[in-house]
Amino acid sequence: MKEFAVFWGCTIQTRFPFIEKSTRIVLEGFKLPYRDIDGFTCCPEKSLVNNIDHAMFTLTAARNVALVDEKGYDLVSPCTGCVSNLATVKGELKANPKEKGEVNSLLNQVGREFTGEAKLSHLVPFFHDMVGIHEIKKRMIKNFSGLKIALHYGCHMIRPSHALKNDDPLEPKKFDNIIKAMGAESVDHMTKLMCCGQGLDRVDMHDKALHFARIKLRELKQLGTDAMVLCCPSCFLQFDNNQFLMEKEGEKFGIPIIYFTELIGLSMGYSPEELGMNAHRVDCEPFIKKWESLCAKTDCAADIKAGLNSGGGILG
Amino acid sequence: MLEATLNFKLLEMCSKCGACFSICPSATHIPGYDPRAVIKDILAGTYEKWLSSAHIWQCLECHFCLEICYQHYGFENAMTALRTVAAKKGMHPPQVKRGWDMFIKTSRLGEPTLPARKKLGLPEPTASGADEFKKLHALLKDAREGHKTE
Repeated sequence: MKEFAVFWGCTIQTRFPFIEKSTRIVLEGFKLPYRDIDGFTCCPEKSLVNNIDHAMFTLTAARNVALVDEKGYDLVSPCTGCVSNLATVKGELKANPKEKGEVNSLLNQVGREFTGEAKLSHLVPFFHDMVGIHEIKKRMIKNFSGLKIALHYGCHMIRPSHALKNDDPLEPKKFDNIIKAMGAESVDHMTKLMCCGQGLDRVDMHDKALHFARIKLRELKQLGTDAMVLCCPSCFLQFDNNQFLMEKEGEKFGIPIIYFTELIGLSMGYSPEELGMNAHRVDCEPFIKKWESLCAKTDCAADIKAGLNSGGGILG
Repeated sequence: MLEATLNFKLLEMCSKCGACFSICPSATHIPGYDPRAVIKDILAGTYEKWLSSAHIWQCLECHFCLEICYQHYGFENAMTALRTVAAKKGMHPPQVKRGWDMFIKTSRLGEPTLPARKKLGLPEPTASGADEFKKLHALLKDAREGHKTE
């Protein structure tokens, strides 16, 4: 596999360092050739920067891609927004040589060159396509059989599809394939592809952001979902933090929000504490408890294992 | 250079279509959010009233409209154009202003939290690209000035 730089993005490093932790644990665990490289800035955040200055949006993203191009690496990010923004600019510049020339004439003055050769992937399609479901199953020592998981893809994992080209933008399958391979039921639900609505919190419309979170959480509660699994820090903020705020005001949902890397880490045998899951605002304990009791039930070989571990074994 | 622009020919088709209206989360869940009304006003040249409207900031940039669009154009382009004009007039929400200021000043929307990193056993953050980013911003400003006076 080609070496790749991890693009952590601002939100994960500023607000959710535990997501970086679980991501590193999983990348290490799978022995993947990931690298930390110097010089990344904000991707930048499209809704904020592009609305004010399209040129600065394009230049900043092109510079970040140039850093990876230069090293001959690919780029992988556990943030949907970062990949989507970088890929959007990469697509725009590849389709528009004049604009690419303008961007490079500026980048060259700081010693950089955008070629757009690096492949830019979000972590979930990367695991599906590059690591492979077979490999995930091989590393898994516990599965999630018997648990109802609601997947939230997050808009920018799959859209805009002309730039990301990784799944069907209106009927994606890859995240589902992974979760099903891990033994869980991927709960079919009406709001599965609905935008989380976190963007509303970034434009001073907190009540509307809560309203968007509420619509999905209500449906999941009604369906008896054990957890929501996602892989976007912005969606995580929306469903973990804003759910917590609504619960404080008396609306009870009780839907643990689990990051993709945490779920993989759990399946590999890491504890919730090692993965930093105790830093979530909505308690993951109900999900973990149910999972542990299901694991205990289905482990037919428990007696044999205990015997072997005690040192006695069959030779006792 | 590199300014966001609108394609009126495509928007003309949009005004007769409305496919995005059925899939847009904001049109579904926010009363008064109406892509068709906005497009009609842009084509008629009477878009001024939308610049001060909260609705233009309620576009979530989820790209659903782009994917369902028969022209692969997307209503979001109209909203981005309106937001760009509003921002030029200083009519953007305070939070967007604060975010932009922080971006331009630091090249990021927040810095890695060092005590939490230490507690989690995470490595030191990699070197910042802020200096080079600032140089690039200054170069862009110069290029724009040069462009104007040419």
